[in-house]
Amino acid sequence: MRTSLIFILLITLLIPSAVLAKSFGQGVTLSTETAISAILDNPATYVGKKVKVTGLIIDVCSTRGCWIYLAGDRDFEKIHIKVTDGEIIFPMEARGKKAVVEGVVESLEMTREEVIAQRKHHAEETKTSFDPASVTSGEKVLRIRGLGAEIQGL
Amino acid sequence: MNWRRWNTALHRDIGFLCIGLTLLYAISGVAVNHIAQWNPSYRAERTTTNIGPVSGNPAEPETIRIILARLGEQGKLESSYRPDPVSLQLFVEGRSILVDLTSGQVEYDRAIPRAGLREMNFLHLNHPKKAWTWVADLYAVALAFLAVSGLFMIRRSTLRRGLLLSSAGILLPLVFLWLYL
Repeated sequence: MRTSLIFILLITLLIPSAVLAKSFGQGVTLSTETAISAILDNPATYVGKKVKVTGLIIDVCSTRGCWIYLAGDRDFEKIHIKVTDGEIIFPMEARGKKAVVEGVVESLEMTREEVIAQRKHHAEETKTSFDPASVTSGEKVLRIRGLGAEIQGL
Repeated sequence: MNWRRWNTALHRDIGFLCIGLTLLYAISGVAVNHIAQWNPSYRAERTTTNIGPVSGNPAEPETIRIILARLGEQGKLESSYRPDPVSLQLFVEGRSILVDLTSGQVEYDRAIPRAGLREMNFLHLNHPKKAWTWVADLYAVALAFLAVSGLFMIRRSTLRRGLLLSSAGILLPLVFLWLYL
């Protein structure tokens, strides 16, 4: 009996994480899921609210793992998930995996200078070219401040 | 055996036990400290190529098969995404393949793990969780023991130097807290 209990305990502690979804940050607690398309269509309804979204991870911050892009439920759509540096570090292997993310929807009013600075930083991280002249005005950016996530197949 | 001998013996043996973990945490610590300048676990590599224009419905498995065949990609397709009407992004075993269907231009992104560092960072940042959390906690307790037991190993002949250096080690974080907090 005691041997069995020790065996079960060891298996529970050492079970490969690849079998289960890997949890990040505060994990996922909400039961109701919100479609990314719903947030993009009606941002005012969701800004400041905590939501749970599901989607394919299409890009990961290659420097600090501090953001991901989640594909929307409709073609050609995606949403930016930003997490606090160091609190959650998304691994590069997460790209192409399905994720459930929980966080608060944010709407940021960015000046032209802020947009240029952000895109320049993004271009450096992704090693792509960026022309500051391509930004002509400020932008309103919709994103989710990620608090927790579960990624399948990691 | 008196308590001083016990203290020395435990300090020595726990010290031996901590060598591997200390090196792991030290090397990973330096790597992770500079996370703003680099990714301590992976090296991102991007290559470009051209496979020629791709016709057919990007949502069809046959179109994807043709693209992978032209690239000579043998890995298992995990998922796909359409960023815009003329592009298709494929994910193959951690690699991202972005294809411009009209021009055939391909951006191939690979995340290459940094050998050794990735594994050390994995443990240092407690990504395994589970039983490793207990190991890391025990290591922290062992380090605290080494610090305290070390204080009792200061001998009369090295008292002045021991007290000076120990005080400096305690003062250092306090100075930075005063400066930056």
